[in-house]
Amino acid sequence: MTLISKSITAFGSLLLAHACYSAQEHSALQSFRAATSAALTSTPTAATSLPIDIAIETVVAILVILIGLVLGTSPLRPIQWREWAGKIEREGEDGFKDNKGQVNRDYMGNPFDFIEGRPNFVDIRKQRKEFAEWVKSQGQQQK
Amino acid sequence: MAPSLIRSPVQLPPVEALALSQQAPAILQSSPSTVSSSALGSLFSAAEKPELWIQYENLILSSLRTGDDRAAQECLDRLVARFGNNDRVKALGGLIKEAQAQNNGELEKILKEYDQMLEENNTNLPIMKRRIALLRSMGRLSDAASALVQLLDFSPTDSEAWSELSDLYFSQGLYPQAIYAMEEVLILAPNAWNVHARLGELQYMAATASGATSGSYQKQMAEAIKRFSRSIELCDDYLRGYYGLKLVRSAVGAAKMIWLLTPSQVTKRLLNDNTKPAKQTDDEDFSLPDSNTIERLNELATAKLAEIVRHSSAQDRGWRGYGAAEVAAARELLSEDAPSGIER
Repeated sequence: MTLISKSITAFGSLLLAHACYSAQEHSALQSFRAATSAALTSTPTAATSLPIDIAIETVVAILVILIGLVLGTSPLRPIQWREWAGKIEREGEDGFKDNKGQVNRDYMGNPFDFIEGRPNFVDIRKQRKEFAEWVKSQGQQQK
Repeated sequence: MAPSLIRSPVQLPPVEALALSQQAPAILQSSPSTVSSSALGSLFSAAEKPELWIQYENLILSSLRTGDDRAAQECLDRLVARFGNNDRVKALGGLIKEAQAQNNGELEKILKEYDQMLEENNTNLPIMKRRIALLRSMGRLSDAASALVQLLDFSPTDSEAWSELSDLYFSQGLYPQAIYAMEEVLILAPNAWNVHARLGELQYMAATASGATSGSYQKQMAEAIKRFSRSIELCDDYLRGYYGLKLVRSAVGAAKMIWLLTPSQVTKRLLNDNTKPAKQTDDEDFSLPDSNTIERLNELATAKLAEIVRHSSAQDRGWRGYGAAEVAAARELLSEDAPSGIER
């Protein structure tokens, strides 16, 4: 997905650069022609506009770049509370990763977890004891 | 994969706590041992991130749990070096001492230290919370409860403390008080889907506890259904909410006496039971929804639970957020339900 979007964006940029270069060349040529014709005939020539193909190329290039960028954005986040909450419960960290596979920095899980977990009231002696028992039971299972 | 250290590790299962505390040496090594807080120093060293300090706090919690006291002490030293002896760091220091205490005498000494600190400033929240937790850990439940009530007197918007009070009452079997405290939490955090589910669970347990009269049974069950439904409303595919709904349905189904009554009979019963007219209208709000509604809720819950269990056992993409224990419990509930469904 990212490779596709990147190559499309690169192709679009190339087109845009080409269009710019053509426009520049065109105007350079026009002014040269105007200067020589003015020197020869001394009658002013009408200012010519860009040829249509350069204009079309510019518009197409911008559209292609846009498509590439849009394809490359990370998936949109839910804006409804219940969808967002459901996503946290259903997908956990998986649902909040960007294109590189890293969990978003502002992902906090359920923001109300602390109400039930109560980290400031933690009974550390009980937790320690339970953990020691768990380790013991694991050791017995392995034997 | 080890869970993120940014989140509080208190509720994690032992396996994940172990994985977290095994990260401790790597994290302690990779981050600088001192971070300068002066403006000049920050020009030369790497910028400090607030996440680092949260990581240290959580690391202290999980390494104390797994018995890695040295890592915990190292984290604390770094916090002290950065913040000095502020209240929150002091509470963490107390936590480490508590974990290392061998006998009751040492615990008493720590308690005295807390009391001394509270004498200087009796609204010192982190120390106050530690003191309450220590009292509870030592089995002095009534002291803990009165200290908690005192804390809530001067800090009534502390949802964590209300939740602790609810849990304290619940552990003593005082359901009405526990439900009241949970409702206070809900006022402070009305969108918290897990609190809605917790309140539903409390009401379910209050209803099924022995000694509940039929009137209060009805009321509690109806309230529990409402709470679980609300939690699902706030959170799509919330396993706990659907689990609770199904549990309530099977409990109500088991109590045939109430199950067989039609709604009109229920209200008639309530009218006969109560003599005060003002109370009647109150109780009518709490009567159970009619059997069709309950049956449909049950069908929905069964379908959803089955879907969740199926997807998470297959480890489908996008369904990996549920805890293993949760899914196992849901599967058990479904398998209990299946044979009785065939009998009927």
